[in-house]
Amino acid sequence: MVTTEPLIEFDNVTVSYNGKPALVDVSFKVDRPAFVTVLGPNGAGKTTLLRVALGLIRPMKGRVIVLGLDVARAPDEVRRMIGYVPQREYISENAPVLVRDVVLMGISSRKPLGRSPTRRDKEKALETLKVVGMHNFWDEPFKHLSGGQQQRVLIARALASDPKLLLLDEPFSGVDSASQEIIIEVLRDLVRRGIGVLLVTHDINPLIDVTDYVLLLNKRVIGFGRPLEQLTPERLFQLYGRKVEVIKIGGACFVLSGDSHA
Amino acid sequence: MLDVQPIILRAITAATLAAVASAPIGVFTVQRKLSTAGAAIAHTSFAGALLGYLAGTEPLLGALVLSVTYALLVAYSGRRGGNMDVALGVSFGASAALAALALSLSREYSTLAFTYLLGDVLGVSESELLVLASFSVASLLLVAIFYELLKMVTFDEETAEAYGVNVTFLNYLHVVLVSLVVVVELKVVGSILATVFLVAPAASALELAHSFEKVMILSVLIALASSLAGFLVSILFNLPTSAVIGLIASSAYLLAVLFSPKRICCR
Repeated sequence: MVTTEPLIEFDNVTVSYNGKPALVDVSFKVDRPAFVTVLGPNGAGKTTLLRVALGLIRPMKGRVIVLGLDVARAPDEVRRMIGYVPQREYISENAPVLVRDVVLMGISSRKPLGRSPTRRDKEKALETLKVVGMHNFWDEPFKHLSGGQQQRVLIARALASDPKLLLLDEPFSGVDSASQEIIIEVLRDLVRRGIGVLLVTHDINPLIDVTDYVLLLNKRVIGFGRPLEQLTPERLFQLYGRKVEVIKIGGACFVLSGDSHA
Repeated sequence: MLDVQPIILRAITAATLAAVASAPIGVFTVQRKLSTAGAAIAHTSFAGALLGYLAGTEPLLGALVLSVTYALLVAYSGRRGGNMDVALGVSFGASAALAALALSLSREYSTLAFTYLLGDVLGVSESELLVLASFSVASLLLVAIFYELLKMVTFDEETAEAYGVNVTFLNYLHVVLVSLVVVVELKVVGSILATVFLVAPAASALELAHSFEKVMILSVLIALASSLAGFLVSILFNLPTSAVIGLIASSAYLLAVLFSPKRICCR
């Protein structure tokens, strides 16, 4: 049975870059296990929110608690419990790395200096690749993979360190629908096993079924709660500053937008 | 009569050290697009060697001190939001000015200039060889110790930082390692050609192999082959060693580009 405990809490967090606000008085709290989707337009501070949770950016005001620990006071302990999947654009795709190298990075970056991956590490890496269905690509160069396959390998890397919270930044960008479905299924299963998921996206539709809570963010919190309560035309108008249609059929809903950023 | 054998032996050892020490850190340097920084550090080492000579100390130590100081300053200027390109441009001029000043103060103008600009592998003394060996071993050891982290930072700096890897420290370490190998190369091929060992073998290997491990091995082999073949040809045909090594290493890169399976498949 999965126990309930605090997963993540933002308490009046304010962040600014060179005097320009990136996050203003952001507050929300979620218990574990939960699937949280952060939705917002470009420049809404979604990636900043993840970087604050990782302790990479110190808020000017407020505090962030991850799994019961204050990120500002115990950043290393917090990072050890988090798996991170960055936007693929931050990755040097031309680097000479094989799929196994990428997954092993998730393990070796947290080991003492100078230690090469052990047989056990390699077994663990292969296990996590199986979770995302990429175990047959063990010796394949990372750059030879499609966008969706690369994303699945990056998720495997994040899972290789047995995180309690998984942070994902736009994981469906440039990803084919088959890989998208596999990724969503993997994430759904993680939440069932008690792992928290906090995912940043500009397209909520594929995730409405799996999302427990949605955070509507545009520098400030526009709304936070269950998807069906939050995904209303009024709230989405507040979020994007323009009309967004929402179709609700029974217990499901679909967000329709004029562009791809809703 | 001149004792030829020890001179040749020292020269071959120095050329081997320069090749083996430079290639591994060269792979990270090329992959992280720091080749220009490597060239700038090499130019500074020339000024450092001349200043060391004028100060009456071992020129190679002078080269190390100035190039490490310079490398750290460049890395500092290139931190998030900084403009490393401008820092490199300004410091290129500063190191050239320092070198010109040091040369004008020296009475052995041309000998010094030739030794540290174009290298003097046949003039490597026993004490210099010891310095080169210690720098080479130090750089190889550090690359081995930080190998996994350097690999991760090269591939994905963002996640490395998120996982608590001290990326800033690794960036500083990287340029210090480049400084170490540049000083080793200074005596073998000179400051002008220092990047030949740092960049060409790594860039060639990156055209041919897909994993860091294979790229490392291949770049060491290419550097070693260029170094030893260049030395042999220069002795046989009485040509400047550094120039021949430079031409062979550059040709290896040209061949790697022409026959790269990565490029052939995309034509």
